[in-house]
Amino acid sequence: MSTATPTAGKPAKKAAKATGLTWTIADADHMTQAEIYGEVLTQAALKDGRVVALTADLAKSTKIGKFEQKVPERFFNFGIAEANMFAVASGMAETGLIPVVSTFAVFASLRAAEFVRTDVCYQKRNVKIIGTHSGTSFGQAGTTHHCTEDIAVMRCLANMTVIAPADARATAKAVEAMLAHDGPVYIRIGRGFEPPCYKDMDFEFTIGKSNLLRDGTDITVIAAGIPVLQAVEAADRVKPDGVSVRVIDMHTIKPIDEEAIVRAVQDTRRLITVEDHTVVGGLGTAVADVIAKSGKGCAFRKLGYQDEYSIVGYPEDLQHRYGIDADGIVSAIGEVLKQDFEQDEDWEDE
Amino acid sequence: MLAAAERKRLQDKARAIREEIVKVTYACGGSHIGGAMSQTDVLVALYYKYMRIDPARPDWEDRDRFVLSKGHGGVGHAVVLADKGYFERKLLDDFNKTGSPFGMHLDRLKVRGVDASTGSLGHGFGISIGMAMGARLTGRQFRVYCVVGDGECHEGSVWESAMAAGHFKPTNLTVFVDRNRFCLDGPTEEVMPLDPLDGKFESFGWRVLSIDGHDFDAICGAIETAHAETARPVVVIANTVKGKGVDFMENQTAWHYGGLDDRMKARALESIARS
Amino acid sequence: MADQAQELRARIFLRSCLPLVKVVLEERSAYRKLLYRAGGAVQFAAADSEQGAWVELTPEGLDVKQGKHPSPSITLTFKALRDMNEFFAGGLALPRVSGIAGLPSLLRLLPFLLKLKMLLPDVIPEDPDEKALKVRMLLFMVTNALSQLNKGGDEAMAKYAKTSPDRIFQLTVENGGPAAYLRIKAGRSKAGRGTYTRRRPYVHMIFPDSEGAFDVLTQHFSNVEAVRLGKLRMEGAMEGGKEIGLLMQRIEAITTGAV
Repeated sequence: MSTATPTAGKPAKKAAKATGLTWTIADADHMTQAEIYGEVLTQAALKDGRVVALTADLAKSTKIGKFEQKVPERFFNFGIAEANMFAVASGMAETGLIPVVSTFAVFASLRAAEFVRTDVCYQKRNVKIIGTHSGTSFGQAGTTHHCTEDIAVMRCLANMTVIAPADARATAKAVEAMLAHDGPVYIRIGRGFEPPCYKDMDFEFTIGKSNLLRDGTDITVIAAGIPVLQAVEAADRVKPDGVSVRVIDMHTIKPIDEEAIVRAVQDTRRLITVEDHTVVGGLGTAVADVIAKSGKGCAFRKLGYQDEYSIVGYPEDLQHRYGIDADGIVSAIGEVLKQDFEQDEDWEDE
Repeated sequence: MLAAAERKRLQDKARAIREEIVKVTYACGGSHIGGAMSQTDVLVALYYKYMRIDPARPDWEDRDRFVLSKGHGGVGHAVVLADKGYFERKLLDDFNKTGSPFGMHLDRLKVRGVDASTGSLGHGFGISIGMAMGARLTGRQFRVYCVVGDGECHEGSVWESAMAAGHFKPTNLTVFVDRNRFCLDGPTEEVMPLDPLDGKFESFGWRVLSIDGHDFDAICGAIETAHAETARPVVVIANTVKGKGVDFMENQTAWHYGGLDDRMKARALESIARS
Repeated sequence: MADQAQELRARIFLRSCLPLVKVVLEERSAYRKLLYRAGGAVQFAAADSEQGAWVELTPEGLDVKQGKHPSPSITLTFKALRDMNEFFAGGLALPRVSGIAGLPSLLRLLPFLLKLKMLLPDVIPEDPDEKALKVRMLLFMVTNALSQLNKGGDEAMAKYAKTSPDRIFQLTVENGGPAAYLRIKAGRSKAGRGTYTRRRPYVHMIFPDSEGAFDVLTQHFSNVEAVRLGKLRMEGAMEGGKEIGLLMQRIEAITTGAV
């Protein structure tokens, strides 16, 4: 693209300038934050010869393309054929390799579900799975490419560890933890343009241990994945109104951090879960299991897709529509606490 | 061409394996006996002549791998493994019983000598490709063998695997199709036709060898040809007879799965002895 | 009666551009001396429109108000809104001047108005301080103009704002640089200076320095190129960035008279 050189004195009616609105999937690499995880994976592969990457014609979309550039001899593209890819991963793991399989969440968890279950989980093969474009992060693609069921599906597979990192930095740490862990792991992420939740890499990330992002005593919001940032924003927004919200990043849904949940029940007695996922069988259900098991009562609400399929739309619009963005969370907090929050009604231009 | 003594050795072993399969089927109340019989000669050639394995070290990193993608042939595989010494033969007396490590489809975590847990069709083929590619990547020389059922070739994932192998060319893998021309509901060509199966594999980039799956000269010749082939992966379409060795089972749809009583067991054993 | 396009254009000039004379005063202390013993009000008007604005001068500073001053010291009346718009766009359009007594006020104001010419697309200052001033003015102008598009009934903008949840479009120049935002919610809009703190921005355009901000705001580099070259960081919704980019283009088209 050229830069238009200005000519002196003449306004208007020039040729159309670069608008910044045209971009192709090849440009996406420069604009995304998901490349952090692609970089971490590549570095890991350069250090450990056992790491192998597999994709089903989605190298560019899932940002595993950097791996392809740096470690081409250990990168395999299986074309649009997910089932076989997982079977092959199982076979590779048998020979001592650590296959990292990357495709859209909907294909990893549903289309290839049986292969994940039978070839990876049942046989306890050390295969790592990264499901991208989970939830409705691929809004425009419509329901066939959304995945609001993957946490539920992966959660009910024995031997599977299920992680939903909050942002690119958390994903990078999750990838490191995943490679160090022995056994099948499923990580679900968005499409890579999600805003950062963690401001730097100076935070803990341990599989099975949640992160406390805001301490509070009135109500707890437990979130995983993209909604974590929204939960933090919601908590900060109602703080001036005197509401003390505890925000927990429950990045590992299986095995879930039971202790943190029970403590939240005891300390705040009100729990809201938020996930870019159906409320049936995902984070909310996992938390509910723990609450029920604890025998303690609390007010409880699950935010997510209420057993429905999502429509087409930009992901932020969908998150707003389905109530899992900061506005939705603030609203839910208000309902659970039965109070209203002050609105900003100043509309004068400055 | 095999020396006569060698051929006899293999044929006698195959007969012995078939007898054991009948006995196990009788004891456990029923098995996928038809397919176990059709695959036996291929398994015998592999396990008793070509595969570099050590029953004392089932996890030996450099061993040759075997994947029975048509996992329901597990009863036949289990008998071979027992005979090779991976575990005691008497453990097969509990085949199918609650708590036994042995059932219709063998579990690699429970049975020594099994490299992949199969049963659901269309998985083992891909797994064997992964093992073959893994061998290359880790610089090891072991070979991988995979037996796929012909009915199994209805599964789309089989063709994903075939396509991937045509692309990645794992020539250290040899695939056999147990072409007994039957699936559960009837002859394959009536239920969902597969012919021309050889043409299909060829078009996916494979070298196809079509043989009589009960002729040891042909089987061994095919395996050696596959070992020498370096340009394309090799698939051996072994034309077999479902229920081979037991006259009342041969080419019978019904004997895809069945149980035997005393009388049928005796008849079966007698038929095998004659074969 | 002036047509809708001219009304919209005027809205932007009067409400988003003219008030920037105050920024000139804030950022260029040299201009203070123009206000020594200053007084009076300079009124801008057009014969065919209700719109207008006046600049009030005092020794303390300048104030810009919309509408018609009850008794301005000097009035510049353009034949038509079109002409007034041309004047603000840097073109040659002379108004009828009434109230000679207010001439000193106009003379004091003129340097400020001339300084506003740096907003013109072709003006590329060499001096980094001048560039920074243009960036500051552009930031405030753009966010304000977007709000004017909505309040002035521009079809595209109004449609976008109508269905929008409460969203913030934030532009920030780092390291002590200027910041401005646009807030949209269910048909309403507000342009503000600085950083909106009550919610996270829906789209945040972050410029590490003034140079980069200049290149992007004057549209000499596309957003994609700018990101690649490190002149711009985009945070927030990808598609939101695109939407606002389109609207910013409209601003330029309207102000330069391309539309």
